[in-house]
Amino acid sequence: MTQLLVFNITNGLIIGAFYVLMAIGLSLILNLSNVINFAHGGFLVVGGYIAYTLEPYLGFWGALIASPFLTAIIGLAVESFLISRVYSRDPLYSLLLTFGLAFILEDGTRSIWGANGKPFTVPAFLSQPLSNEFFFITGYRLFMVAVVTIAVALLFILLRFTRAGIRIRAGTLDLETVSAVGINVRALRSLNFAVGIFLAGLSGVLAGGQLGLEPTMGAGLLMPSFVAIIVGGVGSLAGTLVGGLLIGVASGVTAVFFPAASEAVIYVLMAVVLLVRPRGLFGEEGMLT
Amino acid sequence: MSEVVIRTPVPRRTILKAGLAIGAMQVASPFVVKSLADEPIKIGMIDPFTGVYAGVAQNELIGAKFAVEQVNAKGGVLGRQIELLVEDSANDVGTGVQKARKLIERDGVQFLIGDVNSGIALAIAQVSHEKKVLHVVSGGHTDGITGKDCHWNVYRVCNTTKMEANSVAELLFNKYGKKWHFITPDYAFGHTLQEAAEADLKKYGGAITGNELTPLGTTDFSAYLIKARAANPDVLLVLPQGLDMVNCLKQIAQFGIDKQIHVAGLQQELESLEAMPPEARVGIWMFEWYWKQPGVPGVEKFVADIRARSGGKVPTARTWFGYTSVMTYALIANREKTLDAVKLARALGDFELPDDVKLQPNKCYYRKGDHQLMTSAFVGQALTKPAGDPEDLFQVDSIVPGDKTSPPENETGCTLQWPA
Repeated sequence: MTQLLVFNITNGLIIGAFYVLMAIGLSLILNLSNVINFAHGGFLVVGGYIAYTLEPYLGFWGALIASPFLTAIIGLAVESFLISRVYSRDPLYSLLLTFGLAFILEDGTRSIWGANGKPFTVPAFLSQPLSNEFFFITGYRLFMVAVVTIAVALLFILLRFTRAGIRIRAGTLDLETVSAVGINVRALRSLNFAVGIFLAGLSGVLAGGQLGLEPTMGAGLLMPSFVAIIVGGVGSLAGTLVGGLLIGVASGVTAVFFPAASEAVIYVLMAVVLLVRPRGLFGEEGMLT
Repeated sequence: MSEVVIRTPVPRRTILKAGLAIGAMQVASPFVVKSLADEPIKIGMIDPFTGVYAGVAQNELIGAKFAVEQVNAKGGVLGRQIELLVEDSANDVGTGVQKARKLIERDGVQFLIGDVNSGIALAIAQVSHEKKVLHVVSGGHTDGITGKDCHWNVYRVCNTTKMEANSVAELLFNKYGKKWHFITPDYAFGHTLQEAAEADLKKYGGAITGNELTPLGTTDFSAYLIKARAANPDVLLVLPQGLDMVNCLKQIAQFGIDKQIHVAGLQQELESLEAMPPEARVGIWMFEWYWKQPGVPGVEKFVADIRARSGGKVPTARTWFGYTSVMTYALIANREKTLDAVKLARALGDFELPDDVKLQPNKCYYRKGDHQLMTSAFVGQALTKPAGDPEDLFQVDSIVPGDKTSPPENETGCTLQWPA
């Protein structure tokens, strides 16, 4: 039993790492643009399908790099033509817009690539367990954790040490002042949105190697990511990181004892956090108002 | 150049009078009444064209459309053309029921087909029953449809979960061993499928080591797989369908579990196998229909015809379900020379499908007592490497007739109540 528990905690951390990647992209966009991006799952699927299409030409590694960039370009176009128009309005508008976009992206992928799932293959040496005892730790899962670690580390470096990153962080805290000192907030938001969608595209490629590639796959991955943000605290990227890992472990451990609740447990966790500490674990007070 | 538009006002009364006159003409004049023979016979089809079952639903539609095309080319039904009206249930019971009502009440369909989702199929069967419309369930497998919830007007083309379990259980027991562990989707279809397989296993003297109930839409199966492997069974039965099955088998292959435990299942579909990478295509399964049947009359032509209409893709069991559903209606209505639902429903009891529709070696007929089609189970193995054609991903070892896999009529729990 102890072994089962240890296995599932480790496994939960691996799954949690994936949620982190998706949730951080969502969180970036939410923090600076005040947009709850319901279409994030849709962009994830687009990223996965682009990688599937490119794989025969560029190989897995080429697709892994090219696909997130292409997804980010699509994201940038969507932001400039659609989302930027509702920034000045009530957040409800952007919520409805991205909600509709989610459907458009899902049906778009369905009409381009077909409703039936597609097989996305990862290099053979990655899709093997590393040891017989710890069979659930495969090369691919470790690779996923490594990619997430690198992506998150790069993002934190970008936000801390580059001019654009510092502006994004400043904008998250006080957009009016940032605008008042002459920074082009419009461009800053576009850049920030593109980075968020880049992470969604990257999540899509990684998910494609692990799960079946199918137009509806994004929907199931989106909700846990929202929960990760709320548990970690809106406005805090570090919080999102911890939130993602926490719900991965909670879901993994519950599956051992009470599988039927393995999905519900993340919402219970969210409810408890909201009751005890409404701003989330790392959230700053007043960020939600 | 400017244009001068002169508007002559038409008095309101004139318009009213004209409207009244046109209205009266429709009622009074015999000349404008269209002859009934010119009106097409409408067939309604409800399937989940969006959502997780969109792929299989799309294939049912391809089959149904092909049948309509064939029937119309041969003179239609009772000399009238047939027309297929298609509605999306969006994999939602409420939407499905609403669409069924729309098709019957507003469009006046004579015949209803659908749904892939068992829950929706059961719900729309209630509607078709209430409205006395002949209905063929094309792709919902849960036993109740031709069991305890059966209706006089409802027939079913695809197998029941019990038929699926019975077709594979004995083979798995003899070939792989007597300790079984289940991964079961946590809803009606999964429960009845698992119960049927467990009952078979106990009958042969085997035992289960566990049953992992996984919520519909589970993406990560690792927690369940860790538990299943710890239980050390002889066989791991994978019962989820569609994307869930693809995810589960993909992870089983990555964990290398298929190299330690025999991985198998009951229902498997070409749509799912095609969505998997080669290493995940393992185990013994049953198909409900398979496109490669050398020497069986009509199959090769059917495959070629469908390929010509689906961008080169071969028909799957789902394509055949859609095709057979429409053909059933056309054949029986033409034989009975009527569109009366009660008469047709009575005539379908014991109706045997002809060679060019059944497309399988065994006898294929609707059973009188529960309205279930006695169709074959294609038992065999999933192929890691395609055998020649890239879509040949399954090796059929035996084709078991429906009356061998189905429990007898009196054990299905179905009592048909015919209208007075």
